Amino acid sequence: MVAHLTRLLGSGNLQLAEETVQEAMLRALQTWPYQGLPENPTAWLFRVAHNAAIDAVRHNQLLGDKTDALVVELSRAAIPVPNDPDIEEQLRDDELRMIFMCCHPEISRDARVALSLKTVGGFSVREIARAFLADDAAIAQRLVRAKRQIRDERLTLDMPHGTELRRRLDSVLDVLYFMFNEGYAVHEGDELIRQDLCLESLRLGCLVASSSITEPRVHALVALMALQAARLPARIDEAGDLVLLEDQDRSRWDPHLVGLGFHHFDRSMAGDEVSEYHVQAAIAATHARAADPQSIDWPVILYLYDQLLAINPSPVVALNRAVAVAKVRGPAEGLAAIGPLLSDPKLCDYYLLLSVRGHLLLELGERAKAAASFRAALACSCSEPERRFLRRKLGSSALESSAL
Amino acid sequence: MPQYMLLLHSDPANWQNLSPEEMQKATEKYMAWSKKPFTRDGKRLADDLGRVIRSENGKPRTTDGPYSETKEILGGYYTIEAANYDEAVKLSLAHPHLELGGTIEIRQVWGS
Repeated sequence: MVAHLTRLLGSGNLQLAEETVQEAMLRALQTWPYQGLPENPTAWLFRVAHNAAIDAVRHNQLLGDKTDALVVELSRAAIPVPNDPDIEEQLRDDELRMIFMCCHPEISRDARVALSLKTVGGFSVREIARAFLADDAAIAQRLVRAKRQIRDERLTLDMPHGTELRRRLDSVLDVLYFMFNEGYAVHEGDELIRQDLCLESLRLGCLVASSSITEPRVHALVALMALQAARLPARIDEAGDLVLLEDQDRSRWDPHLVGLGFHHFDRSMAGDEVSEYHVQAAIAATHARAADPQSIDWPVILYLYDQLLAINPSPVVALNRAVAVAKVRGPAEGLAAIGPLLSDPKLCDYYLLLSVRGHLLLELGERAKAAASFRAALACSCSEPERRFLRRKLGSSALESSAL
Repeated sequence: MPQYMLLLHSDPANWQNLSPEEMQKATEKYMAWSKKPFTRDGKRLADDLGRVIRSENGKPRTTDGPYSETKEILGGYYTIEAANYDEAVKLSLAHPHLELGGTIEIRQVWGS
C-alpha cells in the first residue's frame, strides 16, 4: 500500500505515503471492531488512504501548483477490487519498484535494509530495532536520513535499464540475502520477528523472481532461502535447544517450502550463470534431498564447497568446507583443514570454529583437548541456545574422559 | 441475563507508533472479541469530543467535552451479557483494548 501511494504521490513524499497508510490502518482499527468488516476491506483501506492523501496534499502548501493535478490523480486512481488481475499486477509492480528504489546503491546498506522492511514489509521501527538489536532511535534516524536522501537526490521509482539494472538487482539480492540471514542467524532477539524477517525476504524474493526482470541467480537465491526456511521448525527442539542439521527431524521440515525451493532451484538452472547463490542453493538442495542424515551425499557437498570457496574465499566458507572434509575423509583431515583458520584474526574468537574443532577432537578420542576447545568456545559471544549446546558438548567430553 | 455496557476509552497517541502490520493484528483481535457470543451490540463513536450541555443558573450552556481536559477519548461502546459484575470483568479482561493501553469502563444496564 505504501508503494502504491508513493507512486501516486512521488518518491519525495514517501513519508506522506507512509503516514496516509498509517492513517487508514488506524481508522480500520477504530471502526471495524464496532461496525464489523466492510464488504471489501482492501478497497475500504485504499479509499481511506486516498482520501487522507488528498486532504494532506490540499493542506500541504509545499506542493504549490502541482497540488490540483495530484488531487485529480488521487481521486481518479483505481481502488483495488478483489480478483481484479490488472490491479493486482499494478500493486505487484508498485512493490517491485519500491524495493528497487529502497535498494539504490547511493543509500547505505543498513539503511537499504531498514527502508525495505519499513516501506515494503510493513515492519515498525521498534520491530526493525528488535530484529537488529539496535535501539529505536538509531533505526528511526537511519530511516529519516534515507528518506531525505531519496528526496534530495531525487531517487525515483523508475526502473533502471541495462547495466544499471543489473547493478541494482545485485543490490536488491544482497539486501534480501542479508535480511534473510539476520533472521536465520541464531542470536538473541525476538524469535517471532526473526522468523517474520525470513519469510518477508522470501516473499520479496519470490516477487522479484516472478517479475519480467528476473535472472537465474534470483531463482537461486529464492531456492536457497526457501530450503533454509523450511528447516526453521526443526532447528529448535521442544526444550528450545539447538538441533544440528544432521540431527534434525526431517518430518518437521516444511514440505511446502521444500517444494518451493526445488521449483526455484530448477528454474535457476536456465543459462550458464553460476553465482554464489547457485552453489549455496545446491548445497541446501543436497541436504534436502537426503531422506535421512545417513544418506547425505557428503562428497557432492564437499565438491560444492570447493566451488564456493573459489567464488568467495571467506574463512566462514572454509570452515564449512572443513566439516565436509571431515565427513568425506575423516576427522583428522577435517582438523587439518581447520588448522590455518585458527590463526585467522577474523575467526579466532568465533565460537563455531572452536565448537567444530572440539567436535572433531572428540571423534578422534582427544577428550581433554576437545573439552578445552568447547570451553574456549563458551568464552566467545554466542546466544543462550548455543551456549546450552556447547555446555552439553563440554559435559559429554568431560564425562567420557572421566570414564576412561 | 443482566446486560453491561462497556465504554472503551483510549489515548489515540498509544496507537500512533504501531506498524501497519501490528495494527492489522490488533484489528483482528478486536474483531474476534466483538464476535464472541456474549456481545449484543457495539458502536463506534466519532473522533470528536462531542458536546455537553450543562444547566447553569437555570440556563443551558453547551461546551465541547466532556473530556477536553484529558487526552483520552471515548472511542466506542459494547453491550454484553454477563451473570454479574465479576463475570463482566472477566470477559472484558480478555479484550485487546487493554493490551493497547486503553481503559474499559463497565456499567450494568439498570433493570436488565
